[in-house]
Amino acid sequence: MIANVDSLSQGLATLLQVIVVALGGPLLVGLMAKVKARAEGRVGAPISQPLRDLRKLLAKERLHARHASVVLPLAPMVIMATSVVAVAITPLVSTHPLLGSSADILVIVYLLLTGSAAAALAGLDPGTAFGGMGASRAMTIGALAEPALLVAVIALSIQSGTSNLPGIMASTLANPQWVLGPSRLLALGALLIVVIAETGRIPVDNPSTHLELTMVHEAMILEYAGPELALVSLGEAMRVGLLFSLVANLFLPWGIATHDTALALALGTVVVALKTAFVAVAVALIEVRSAKLRLFRLPELLAGGFVMSVLAVVTGLVTR
Amino acid sequence: MGWFLAALVLCGAAALVGAGLPRRVRVAGSALLGAAGCLIALAVALRTLIAGDTLTWHTTQILPFTGLSLSLDPLAAWFILASSFVGLAACLYNVGYAKGAMASRSAQSLFMVFVLTLIAVPAASSIMSLMFWWELMALSSLLLILTDQSRHREARSAALWYGAMTQIGAASILMGLLVMTSGGAGQSFADLRSHSSSLSPLAQSFAFVLVLLGFASKAGAVPLHVWLPKAHPEAPSPVSALMSSAMVAMGVYGIIRVGEDLLHGGTPWWWIAVALLGVVSAFYGALHATTSTDLKRLLAYSTIDIIGLVLIGVGAAGALKDNGQLGAAHVALSAALLLVVAHAAFKGALFLGAGAIERATGTRNLDLLGGLIHAMPVTALVVAISAGSIMAVPTLSGFSGEWLLLQGLLHGFATTSTPTVIVMLLGVIALALTGGLTAVAFVKSFGIGFLGQARSSGARDAREVAVSMRLAMLLLVVPSVALGVAPGLLVAMLSRATTSALGGKLASPLDAGTGLVLSRLGGAIAPAALLVGLVAVMALAWLLNQTLAQRRARRVEAWGCGRDLQTSRMQYTATSFAEPLQRVFADVLRPQSDVEVTHVAESRYYEQSLMYENRVVDVLEARGYRPLIAAAQRLGRVARGLQNGSIHRYLAFGFVALVVILVVVG
Amino acid sequence: MTSTYIATLELAAGAVLLSAVMTLWRRGVRSIVSMLSLQGVALAAVAMVLGRHEHENALLVTGVLVLVVKGLVVPTLLRRVSRLDPRSRESRPLVNVPASLVFAAALIVLAYVVGTRITALSPTSATHLAPLGLATVLVGYFMLVTRRRAVSKIVGLILVDNGIALVTFLLTSGVPLIVELGSSLDVLLVVVVLQFLMVSMRRHSDTDRLTEMKALHD
Repeated sequence: MIANVDSLSQGLATLLQVIVVALGGPLLVGLMAKVKARAEGRVGAPISQPLRDLRKLLAKERLHARHASVVLPLAPMVIMATSVVAVAITPLVSTHPLLGSSADILVIVYLLLTGSAAAALAGLDPGTAFGGMGASRAMTIGALAEPALLVAVIALSIQSGTSNLPGIMASTLANPQWVLGPSRLLALGALLIVVIAETGRIPVDNPSTHLELTMVHEAMILEYAGPELALVSLGEAMRVGLLFSLVANLFLPWGIATHDTALALALGTVVVALKTAFVAVAVALIEVRSAKLRLFRLPELLAGGFVMSVLAVVTGLVTR
Repeated sequence: MGWFLAALVLCGAAALVGAGLPRRVRVAGSALLGAAGCLIALAVALRTLIAGDTLTWHTTQILPFTGLSLSLDPLAAWFILASSFVGLAACLYNVGYAKGAMASRSAQSLFMVFVLTLIAVPAASSIMSLMFWWELMALSSLLLILTDQSRHREARSAALWYGAMTQIGAASILMGLLVMTSGGAGQSFADLRSHSSSLSPLAQSFAFVLVLLGFASKAGAVPLHVWLPKAHPEAPSPVSALMSSAMVAMGVYGIIRVGEDLLHGGTPWWWIAVALLGVVSAFYGALHATTSTDLKRLLAYSTIDIIGLVLIGVGAAGALKDNGQLGAAHVALSAALLLVVAHAAFKGALFLGAGAIERATGTRNLDLLGGLIHAMPVTALVVAISAGSIMAVPTLSGFSGEWLLLQGLLHGFATTSTPTVIVMLLGVIALALTGGLTAVAFVKSFGIGFLGQARSSGARDAREVAVSMRLAMLLLVVPSVALGVAPGLLVAMLSRATTSALGGKLASPLDAGTGLVLSRLGGAIAPAALLVGLVAVMALAWLLNQTLAQRRARRVEAWGCGRDLQTSRMQYTATSFAEPLQRVFADVLRPQSDVEVTHVAESRYYEQSLMYENRVVDVLEARGYRPLIAAAQRLGRVARGLQNGSIHRYLAFGFVALVVILVVVG
Repeated sequence: MTSTYIATLELAAGAVLLSAVMTLWRRGVRSIVSMLSLQGVALAAVAMVLGRHEHENALLVTGVLVLVVKGLVVPTLLRRVSRLDPRSRESRPLVNVPASLVFAAALIVLAYVVGTRITALSPTSATHLAPLGLATVLVGYFMLVTRRRAVSKIVGLILVDNGIALVTFLLTSGVPLIVELGSSLDVLLVVVVLQFLMVSMRRHSDTDRLTEMKALHD
């Protein structure tokens, strides 16, 4: 009976987490747009605009490209599914979501890779030039960002002795002096570059461009309209929310709920929202200050991230 | 053991049937007998893995002087598991595939002989038995490459490269094994095992290096891999599937058997060398797979990539065991073995799928395919799941193997020996890089090959292939899904195979359950729960779509920047898809481009036609092997000067040689 | 108390190596020089933290000297030199930027392998960080070899010097003041000579890209 109640409360905590990220992701995107607008001297759209866009899209007609196959309607479902499951198993609000014992950071990394691959296939499906271009560029960036991501994650795992997410957070909570160590800071730098690449922000990609030849990510989903576009946008926004809050929680895990009481969960939600918002504002300010890089300058940026993550591992080994 | 011998006899009978029966029943008859043999071998292998014992058999009838010895322990059984399963699928596939040259007597009997050798090689337990089955395997596959006479030049060149390199490899293996008998040991593996500790460390290292060269070449490790991208595409598809899934695994088996079992582990630097070979192979193979436009060549390079990962696991396990990290060593070797079986299944399925595509469209060139998902849905499903497995999508088998390998490397970082730590770091970097590049390669092959519009008439007129071919491909998809969703089912058998390789009474750090759990080291995954979650969310999303929006979608023209009528020529091709990566890694790939301009007769300022060619050749072949071959040919021409035609000179050679021998011996 | 000492030392040593890698990454000569001054500050921090912990005043003075010379004077001189051509960038180094970054990663790993063998001789919390200094030396040398602009080459040379200084600070926890004074004055002299050379190079051949000057023979 106790086990049932335990897993029931765990299940509720996980559901809460998913809903928070589902609503919070679009709000984060709106927040970043607002910060950019203010920094550029404009008023900008309200923060809830992406949520309104989603509602508008749900009411629109479903359209499929003429030569598309079953992959086109399937891909948004895969993107949503990988985002939701990744959010469900990550410790964001509470340290033990439903599958916490098997919440491995490598699972998250590969789930997100699956989502990207699904989006790329969706780009190739209608048989257009823009879709192929977006798919090719996005997969190239993903392939070059992967080494930095994995090595940075391994740097964190070496220091904590496990790649299990709750384990990493627990060891960081137990050793607060690690947070300012060179290994963690370098891993943070590398992860920030990777997160900017994975979420398609300036300087890697401009999310608000309308010129097809400058698009990387938007070109893949060019053929989506109506409810399917809403699904894709929501999945992407949840990815943004997940990545930002994961970065925040890996490096500053304080405030996360360790019990499943309502008060702890509420506090955990507020704290993680604040931390994620902080990361989002930081990324938005980086966006304002930089210009979008040419496609063939991106390997430099991603190689730099890779070197930082190798440095993180070596300094971690040296300072062991 | 009797059942295993029965399996071998059945495959032999299948070969005879293939040589004997008339055309109408030849293929079906040999396929039936061959499949029965593979099935029995599979059952015996499973039984050995569950029971954990060793079966032996010896006869002096088949091979004179030395006799034939077979021994089936859990390690051998694991590899037989892989080869018999793919053999079963290949026999089934053959029923629908074998037409024309492939259905001839020689092709069918050689095919069954090849399957027979793939089951027998892991069971060999003496030097002569191993060499017998090894050479038979090489010979049968070599002759099978020459089956399809419509591709004369490429097939002949491929066969030449393959033959030369496999023979050199076999000689190297034989020499290494014979070094291990120095000092008067017998030639059975049991004798070698007990004798090896009395060899000097130098002799042991020498033997290992020789053996490693031969087995690594067969496994396709860079830089000894040059034959693989030539030979695997040229063979008929079921043969390619067997070569890429089972034959390369034999190379890995040899390294583990000789290094860990017969030589009892040896020194750490052996295994560091193996791991470094793996790192280079993984990166090189993944990079070339990304830039290949020939579908089968892409799959061949991807085999090199995955074998690189397997060698990283084997090398890490050996190095960690020598440094005392037994738990992490066990995990690393288990990961390598799991990847071997997973690779056998998904690479076999991919090659069979490529064969189906070639049969249906008449081409292997990705730049000429497209839109096949509409006409060939089953093939598309098989290729999609297998490609997902190789890209390490969670809940598929590739992810289980890669996760386990990363766990082994991660826990290996705790070791105190610095070279081993560097090997772990390089292994992680290799895994990361190849993961991304493999994703690009397989999104390219599935997306360009199956999605979009058809780029040629062959692709437009494609039809789904025969039922037997479809069934065979679906059979090979089952392990990809099963090992992905419930890898814990095989944990007990995997642990027995690993313990039999690493030797000793080590308790396995892998625990029972449906997922993979490493409770003592810390780490676990539960793919079954993940699958449930993913399917649930997808169902919810579908429901949302159906209720909140209309049920049917309207078909419209795709966005062409304001211009209508997208033709198939406007799509991205496989070359264009990989072009950014080709540019980023241009220093490693060294693509060659050619521009040929034909001017108008009247004036050099006007061009009549312009031809541009950009090709990526294997750098090691172009800059490593070809100069070596050219130098050898020059040496041969110089040596030909000895032959000036005079009979007196030739007789004098013989006389001088006789005198020299008498002087030296006397 | 000891743990904050170790933490600050680790951070400062890590900053020295990180700024070395950043000079490889950045293309603008001005940002390269900024990274160099950051490295000077970090190196001074290492010396001062070590001096405070070991209660050696000589080290504290050395730290201040390093801060002044390598953190302020040398970068200012280099900036003045680079102002001769304000938009100068390393647009096409001998080894392109992503490749040189990967190479730097390999050099760092090499420094780790070799360095741990040295530190195993006398393991203390300070000597453990010596591989970071060795890595700085290697990265600096690489920069010296592969960059085309004279200012970048000088920055590489100064990186080598800083790396050696870091290693000596960590391994011996103190360099005699006179030695550090000597080496700093050497570097200062090099930079002054460079300034003079750059001016006359510009006047003669209107370029400061050393690869274009191949007539370095009689």
